[in-house]
Amino acid sequence: MQTESSLSTTQLRQDANRWLRTYGTFIGFLAMIVIFSLLRPGVFLSPNNLRNITEQVAILAIVATTMTVVMVVGDFDLSVGALASLSGVVVADLLIQGVGLWPAVLAALAVGATAGLFNGLLVAYFGLSAFVATLATMTAFRGLSLFYTNGSTLFSGIPESFRLFGQSFTGPIPNSVLIMLAVLAVTWFVLEQTTFGRRLYAVGGNAQASYLAGLNVRALRLSAFVISGLGAALAGVVLTSRLFSAHPTAGEPLMLNSIAAVFLGMTMFREGEPHVPGTFVGVLLLGVMSNGLNILQVNSYIQLVLTGVIILLAVLLSGLARRG
Amino acid sequence: MRHKLVHVVWMFALMWSLAACTAVAPVAPAGDAGGTGQTKTIAVVTPYMANATTKYAIEQFEKYAKAKGWNVTVTDTNADFNLLVSRIEDAVTQKVDAIVLGMGDPAQMTKGLEAAQAAGIPVFGLDAGNGPGVVLNITSDNGQLGRETARYLAEAIGGKGNVVMFTHDPHPGVRARAEAAAAEFANYPEITVIEKKHIEVPGPVDFARSVTQDLLTAYPNDGDIAGIWAGWDEPALGATQAIEAAGRSGIVVVGIDGTDFARAEIAKGGPFIASIAQDFDGMAKQLADIIEAYFNGEKPAGDSVQIPGVMVTRE
Repeated sequence: MQTESSLSTTQLRQDANRWLRTYGTFIGFLAMIVIFSLLRPGVFLSPNNLRNITEQVAILAIVATTMTVVMVVGDFDLSVGALASLSGVVVADLLIQGVGLWPAVLAALAVGATAGLFNGLLVAYFGLSAFVATLATMTAFRGLSLFYTNGSTLFSGIPESFRLFGQSFTGPIPNSVLIMLAVLAVTWFVLEQTTFGRRLYAVGGNAQASYLAGLNVRALRLSAFVISGLGAALAGVVLTSRLFSAHPTAGEPLMLNSIAAVFLGMTMFREGEPHVPGTFVGVLLLGVMSNGLNILQVNSYIQLVLTGVIILLAVLLSGLARRG
Repeated sequence: MRHKLVHVVWMFALMWSLAACTAVAPVAPAGDAGGTGQTKTIAVVTPYMANATTKYAIEQFEKYAKAKGWNVTVTDTNADFNLLVSRIEDAVTQKVDAIVLGMGDPAQMTKGLEAAQAAGIPVFGLDAGNGPGVVLNITSDNGQLGRETARYLAEAIGGKGNVVMFTHDPHPGVRARAEAAAAEFANYPEITVIEKKHIEVPGPVDFARSVTQDLLTAYPNDGDIAGIWAGWDEPALGATQAIEAAGRSGIVVVGIDGTDFARAEIAKGGPFIASIAQDFDGMAKQLADIIEAYFNGEKPAGDSVQIPGVMVTRE
């Protein structure tokens, strides 16, 4: 009798723990929304502000989504921010030189894919750690952007048609948000619904076993970097369109923020695995927090502290629960 | 690797702090040519010739120095401070009459400067900094840049209303601008600085744009915010874009540095109404005069000369 009841208590506690670790961060996110709405009623949840938030997170969401793919196979890509800057510089320069809209955008994406291929070769075929390889290419890409622009901002002569990606709307929805949704949907589908995606997860779970099971581990890791390079380049194009100018370091903040978003996402819904829905909520959490704290007129420095604390709390919560 | 990274970061920090600026009206060269009759040789050493601003300042200095009949050699080390020390030592060996540092922090080239000092060769900073053996450094007056732009903004909003400041206090130059601007706003009793927002770098344009969007949400009515003062041009650009995208009227923006993109925005007639350019031409000219006076035995009064900036407005 006693054994049985203590068993069921243990069972209950385990269930509660599992529930907490799978939904804790998400609940925290919802709580944050409730708090902001109560503190600034009618402002935070206004359609205008919601549109602002989605617009503000769109570019980060694109990078974080494709970063998720790299993190699924167990790697990192530190070069995404510098690569976004580089592709932004490339698209702006080509447009200024009179190259057509779509060829310029495709060229920028090609730069991203090539850079991703290079990262992938270094990591998957030359055996460099992703950290070292992408740290090096990050520096090189940053140098290329600075060299390309001579450290200055490209803005003069960008055609109006380029507003399409970062400033125009389709109905009430900003195009940048539509691009973000497309990237989210495609990446989710590839990772969750295709054999290719399941293989990526297999590599991330156990590369050795995947290799023994006959998977082409190297090609899979390489492809993840190509996807990440493409995502970074696309983000760079949207960013350059949004700012209607290309700054040689404009994309840099995307790198750490995207990794933070994927980590936040890993604390949600599923156990310790990067996945697209989690990453998206992670991105939203970061975006909502910075927007909400700005609206509440919180000191800029304190905002940074709070952001760090929230990330730690989320990771700790899921980690602590796992121990229980 | 780490070494290189530090350099890139450093270079970047300098690049945006010294963001490009263009010429003001050329000044007639000084008539007086040297004092002693013997041809003087000046070695200009710089780590930053790739930077457009540095290049411009050094070319202007060359122009004024040659007008005085001096020989000028320019050496660029492409952000390599170690090599820069070697080049300073080379100049010392060649017994040049003076060395000019074209930007670059003297703290990173102490060994070379000490060699110059030991050989009795004067070193002058052209927007560089002070250090051992540096007789004098000529640079922009960041306080004046902040004060003038703040005054312009204050007058543009009729001396009253709420003002937001975009700052970056960890950077000493931008901090000096913000402190002077805040002091200037305090002279207007009907102006209130309602927010001071720290703008993150890199990525200041997009950051400032998002912050401005949020501020417009937090202060939703026309007249809630009258003006935005930005410590440099990039955040001013971001603020301008957010104001325009939101369709808000009655908010004006000022920046600092007189960058080409700021000039383009100002010319459009939108919310971005003014910036201020560092006067590198004036700096170069005055430095040439100071060096000439030094050759004639007149030691400068202090080790620093600050040159006021030139306002860039729609007119």
